[in-house]
Amino acid sequence: MMTRKRRRLIVLLVCGLGLGSAAGLSLWALSSDVAFFTSPTELVQHPPGPDRVFRLGGLVEAGSVKRGDAGGKPTASFRVTDGAATVAVNFVGLLPDLFREGQGIVALGSLAPDGSFRAQEVLAKHDETYMPKEVAEALKKSGHWNPEKGAPPPASTWNTMAVPAKDAKADDTKAGG
Amino acid sequence: MTHLTYISAAYGLAVVVAGWFAVDAWLRMGRARKRLAAIDPRARR
Amino acid sequence: MNMDASATLLSSGSGGRGLHRFANPGRFLRLSGKVLPWLAAFALVLTLIGLGWGLFFAPADWQQGDAVRIMYIHVPAAWLASSGYLGLAICSVLSLVWRHPLADLAAMEIGPVGAGATFLCLATGSLWGKPMWGAWWVWDARLTSVLVLFFLYLGHIALVRAFDSPERGARAGAILALVGVVNLPIIKFSVDWWNTLHQPASISFTGSPTMYVGMLWPLLFSALGMTFGFAAIVVARTRAGVMERRIRGLLLARAQQEAGARLEAAAS
Repeated sequence: MMTRKRRRLIVLLVCGLGLGSAAGLSLWALSSDVAFFTSPTELVQHPPGPDRVFRLGGLVEAGSVKRGDAGGKPTASFRVTDGAATVAVNFVGLLPDLFREGQGIVALGSLAPDGSFRAQEVLAKHDETYMPKEVAEALKKSGHWNPEKGAPPPASTWNTMAVPAKDAKADDTKAGG
Repeated sequence: MTHLTYISAAYGLAVVVAGWFAVDAWLRMGRARKRLAAIDPRARR
Repeated sequence: MNMDASATLLSSGSGGRGLHRFANPGRFLRLSGKVLPWLAAFALVLTLIGLGWGLFFAPADWQQGDAVRIMYIHVPAAWLASSGYLGLAICSVLSLVWRHPLADLAAMEIGPVGAGATFLCLATGSLWGKPMWGAWWVWDARLTSVLVLFFLYLGHIALVRAFDSPERGARAGAILALVGVVNLPIIKFSVDWWNTLHQPASISFTGSPTMYVGMLWPLLFSALGMTFGFAAIVVARTRAGVMERRIRGLLLARAQQEAGARLEAAAS
């Protein structure tokens, strides 16, 4: 004999299962539309038509940034890479503060006839690591990390690293951290 | 401190939102308690 | 006992299962009255420690500078936006399956507070995104799914209040809340399943946090404090809701009594 509570619970579970799988399937089918940007590899494999505006995302290749000036406006040209493929990008305007070699960026624009990317807007995409300047300096100095070349070493190697006391008065209070 | 305007806007917003919810809940509770005490003598504890 | 007896009388007009319906809210009022001051005190102390630590003593980020301090509000608000919705969904199951009388009231009160947390998450995220990413807003999967969460909260707030009968409002709201649960894993995993502008999580159950301890501690304090604060506000609002419902019941009973007396007087 099934109680009413039990029946309501089962109805709810069945509805949830149906709804969940419907949502999962539609997201699966739409996954390419949900993606915020196209990687250089995807761009090479499926090049979009000329003048189609899309977002290109990847890392700024080390040593590729050239800054200039065009009629008072700052310009920048650099290469964006995902490790497998690389795309040249040209941009006129102000770059975000976080822009640097090795940084992730997402640029909105379209392909020029020569295959380079003409950006109208460049956004910086920072990663999920948060560290004080002193730790970043220590990692760079010891040769464990070059921010221009890629991601920092595993978090467990640095997230409890002792920060060299730079000025004593600020560091007294955060010793417990 | 860098980006001070953004930081103070974020902290100020947090104080305003949290404060509003806290004060509203507090006042609403007080009103309900008073009202209930006025019409239900048994509720006075 | 006295209270339960009067409650039975009161609710007999609407539903029948009187004793069960009002017994729990009575106990809730007594219990929550004792817990609430502690919740509020813990919330205030922990949040002040967390935010003060984060604002003045935690180190700045090596590339984000001091803007990283927005994290101590943004991340707890984001966690509360999602976990508040989970609380709403649990209340909805209790309401739909077990017809728990308190769950309806709690769900009704969680909605606005959750919407507030989601608003805070979106607004502080915007204030963080402008100086760091270079944009107030982008339509990536994480930001969009959190905006959908905000609209789900708003829809729930409107729906539970849209019916003349509170029970029907609660039922409709509970169904909406449960349909919206699909959005929670989408929010959580959006940054892993699809490419987004928003970075993936720094703190996970499996790996070492990709955040320096000097930043992690104030974040945890702030998150714990804000969670207590969320709970305290929901408990206070639910207490008010329970008392308001009792007031409505008493007024209704009094009106019925008076009408009955008038009828009798007219008949005799």
